[in-house]
Amino acid sequence: MTIALARIDDRMIHGQVTVGWGQQLRPDLILLANNAIAADAWQARVYASSVPPEIAVEILSVAESAARLAAAEESGERVLLLTGSPGEMSELVRLGAPIEQVNVGGLHFAAGKQEMLPFVYVDRQDLIALDRLLKAGVGLSAQQVPGGRDYPVGDEQLERMEDLL
Amino acid sequence: MTRGYVITHGAIGEELVRVATLILGPQVGLEAASNAGRSAQDITAGIAEWLAAGREPALIMIDDYGGSCANAAQLACGDRSDTAIVSGVNLAMILGFLTWRETHELEELSQRIVDKGREAIVRLGGR
Repeated sequence: MTIALARIDDRMIHGQVTVGWGQQLRPDLILLANNAIAADAWQARVYASSVPPEIAVEILSVAESAARLAAAEESGERVLLLTGSPGEMSELVRLGAPIEQVNVGGLHFAAGKQEMLPFVYVDRQDLIALDRLLKAGVGLSAQQVPGGRDYPVGDEQLERMEDLL
Repeated sequence: MTRGYVITHGAIGEELVRVATLILGPQVGLEAASNAGRSAQDITAGIAEWLAAGREPALIMIDDYGGSCANAAQLACGDRSDTAIVSGVNLAMILGFLTWRETHELEELSQRIVDKGREAIVRLGGR
C-alpha cells in the first residue's frame, strides 16, 4: 500500500502528524498537496522545516501531487498524504490518485462552519467535497491521533450536518 | 521594552505566564495564547494581530519546534526585523525575559533566554 495515511487537516504539517502519526506509521515521505503553499517558497520552507530529518517531505500543487502519488506507487514508497481541506482531497481523487481511505484529522472552527465533531467543523463546501469522496467509493473516518477514538463519517453524518447548515 | 507573546499547546503558556506573575508580580506587555481548537490560519492571524497592536520589538515564545505554533509564528513574523521567535519555552525563560527585556536588545535578549532555558534543564540527584 503506497498511502500509509491520507489525512485532511487544516493545520497540515504539525505535531499530531509528524510525531503522532509519523512515529506510528513511519512513512518514507510526507506529501502536502496545497497549491498556495507549493507556489510560495517561504511558506513551503516553514512547513517543511517541521518534518523530522528521517522523513522526506514534498509540498506540491494538487495536480502535481496526484502525479507524484502515481510515481510513489511504482517505487513502493510509503506516503503520508496531507491536504488542508476536503475539497483538495476530493480533487486528488478526481485526478486519479489511488486513495481508498481518508482520515479526517482536524478541521477547526471558522466563521460559517458548524461542529460535526469536537475537532471537525464543516461548511457547505466541505460537505460537498466529503460527499464526493463517499460517492467515489472512498472510506471516511475521523480520528485525531493514533489510538484515539475513530468516528465514522458517512451519509448519515453528512445529512445531519446539511440540516444544521 | 520588548513585548512578549507565549503561544503553546493547551494551557501551558497561560499557566507559565500566570506562575511568572506570581513570582515577579503583575506584568504588562506579556500575553499568552493557546492553539487549542484553532486552525493554522487562525493561530497565524492571532499572532499577526498581536504584532500589529504594538510598536516595540516583539519576542514570541513557543513550546515545541515543528508544531502548529512554530509554523504560525514564523508565518506571522515573515521577514520583520523587530521580532524574534524562540522555542522550548519554560518558566526560567519567561522569568529571564521579564528580567532582561528592558536592558537588552532583542537579538541578545533572545539568545540569553535560549541559554537560560537550557541551563534550567539539569539532572538533580537520583541515579
